[in-house]
Amino acid sequence: MTAAAAPLLEVDGIETFYGSIQALRGVSLQVREGEIVTLIGANGAGKSTTLRSINGLNHPRRGSITFEGQDITETPAHDVVKLGIAQSPEGRRLFPRMTVLENLEMGAFQRSDRAGMQEDIDRVFALFPRLAERKSQKAGTLSGGEQQMCAIGRALMARPRLLMLDEPSMGLAPIFVDRIFETIVEVNKQGTSILLVEQNALMALQVASRGYVLETGTVALTDDAAQLAQNEDVRKAYLGES
Amino acid sequence: MRRGRISERWWALLGRFGLTQQRWGSWPAWMRRLVKATTWLGLGLILTAAFGTWTTSALAVAAVVLLIVVPPWDRLPNIGPYRTGRWIPWLIALGFVVAYPYYVNGLPQLPVFGPFPNVHTMVVAGIFTMMALGLNFVVGYAGLLDLGYVAFYAMGAYVCGWFASEQFAGQHIDVGAVGLQQGWIGIHLSIWLVLPIAGLMTALIGVIIGLPTLRLRGDYLAIVTLGFGEIMPQVADNGNNLGGFNLTNGTGGITSIDGPGFGHGTVARALHLPASYLGAGNLDSLFFWTVIVLVLITIFCSARLRDSRLGRAWIAIREDETAAAAMGIPLMRTKTWSYATGAFFGGVAGAYYSSYNGGAFPDQFLFQISVFILCMVILGGMGSIPGVMLGAWFLAYLDQEGLSNVGGWINSHFNTNINVPNYEFGIYGLIIVVVMLLRPEGLIPSSRRAAELHEGVHDEPLYDVEELNAPLTEPTV
Repeated sequence: MTAAAAPLLEVDGIETFYGSIQALRGVSLQVREGEIVTLIGANGAGKSTTLRSINGLNHPRRGSITFEGQDITETPAHDVVKLGIAQSPEGRRLFPRMTVLENLEMGAFQRSDRAGMQEDIDRVFALFPRLAERKSQKAGTLSGGEQQMCAIGRALMARPRLLMLDEPSMGLAPIFVDRIFETIVEVNKQGTSILLVEQNALMALQVASRGYVLETGTVALTDDAAQLAQNEDVRKAYLGES
Repeated sequence: MRRGRISERWWALLGRFGLTQQRWGSWPAWMRRLVKATTWLGLGLILTAAFGTWTTSALAVAAVVLLIVVPPWDRLPNIGPYRTGRWIPWLIALGFVVAYPYYVNGLPQLPVFGPFPNVHTMVVAGIFTMMALGLNFVVGYAGLLDLGYVAFYAMGAYVCGWFASEQFAGQHIDVGAVGLQQGWIGIHLSIWLVLPIAGLMTALIGVIIGLPTLRLRGDYLAIVTLGFGEIMPQVADNGNNLGGFNLTNGTGGITSIDGPGFGHGTVARALHLPASYLGAGNLDSLFFWTVIVLVLITIFCSARLRDSRLGRAWIAIREDETAAAAMGIPLMRTKTWSYATGAFFGGVAGAYYSSYNGGAFPDQFLFQISVFILCMVILGGMGSIPGVMLGAWFLAYLDQEGLSNVGGWINSHFNTNINVPNYEFGIYGLIIVVVMLLRPEGLIPSSRRAAELHEGVHDEPLYDVEELNAPLTEPTV
């Protein structure tokens, strides 16, 4: 690996709590410019909590998070979005009673450049032609796959430098899973770095350049995605091989 | 007019009389509207006649409804960007509302409900409409349950008392006040100044109450607002000796608050505006017309804010708080704005009420009033402006006149001796239960809200509770 400049996102030994319960016990990871990095691990390993720590929904009690050289450990969620980190949350969490278009507009809440917003709406519709067809439909009435598209599109509307995706394949039909992963690669090619949390480790490791394996709140393993996919422990634990 | 649907069964019945769906569809729209409107009005008139309260003015009411509903107003050409056609029926309706004091005495007796509400009732109903629209910002738009709205009402009333009565006898200030007696003392600002001041000061109180409480969610927020609603009247009760300073005049309350008026300036005289409401013979009518203006302003602000960026953020928070935060909506700031906006209108309404009443008394500001206003919002349809207005008007009318009229009717027809207004809150409870069973989204629901109630929304504990380090809710990791 060539030594690039300072990483886009640097997470250093964060410990995050829910009340008195410790969810993360010192997680460190990096995302470099233009990378797809995946975070895999079992249920409750702390994948989603890591994302919540980064985007400011759960500030870590110890450790630090740096984005583009700026410390964002204590930055509130709405400012994190402004800095260029957007998220498609777990379970998609669209605004079910707003139309697809209104949902996309909510994604651009922190922006005020109307022309740029229209550009990005067109860009999202180009990525997901299906959404263009359904733009005045209530988001709650979309199918699971369409909802996931809408959630990713909504996150892209913030014009993020780093896009965080939490379980984008959850509960989707296999055909949609393939479509979603294709789109992730496409978005990455257009210049957005991606931090991808997945339970579908096989798919995630195929598209990612590097991966981190989380276990009970710590990073158990980290390597190139290809190496991880070959790793015996990973294959046993997450790829369903015995 | 919305396209109403007529069910298959009715078509089968009508078809036997030669009115098929095709034939109905071939008629021009105004004719269909005329037929529908006359049918409903006819039924209403027959009912009226059946109760033995038939008068010619019932026909007049019918004629007015026909005039508003039937002509194809929406076909009128637009004037510039304004859609004239959409406004005309509303303007006609507004005209009839404004003229209400002139014809109220000529209106027929309603079955069961007795006479139409008098102008005094309409003033009070207007003030409550304003308060309900204010609470609608908090409950309807942002989805925050506020059980202490009466605190804002009280605040507005007392601000009016401070700035427009003889409460602070040591002062001698007069800014445009009307109707002052010889040898007056105290602070007397014009009510037109006091109303916005009361609104702003109440909004400030809203922010002060909001900042610590709005971090809480759901039930916890409701409990804390309930507490603030209880604190306010206590402060009012005991505020007659704050380190020797008499702020609220204790249980006696602040009395002889000034009325509004336009004074004797040349402009006021040229426009024939009344110099002082309290001195005028048609006092109730003057207060009524003024409250219409206030309600119109509130409606305007409600509609504009709902469609603004801020309004969108409120609705997003109501639909899914976590997602809203992830979209970059600053939760605290947005919620506090909804609180402040709601408080503003509550404060203005409270100030206006105390000016109309001529006083502000601590026993006016009880928990019941919070519940009463919340009932109006829920009954009409949370988040829906016409719904909330209808709910507010109807409950305020019941409170002022309706219940005792209905009670009188029951007692005279069934030879009973029930004091119906005694069971006021029981009856409201019953109404709410029935509405919730039959139409949980309220009488005139907003389209979004109706969908939410039928399908449910995400509701999951969020970070701001955890950040307080209070173990109120601990999501499993």
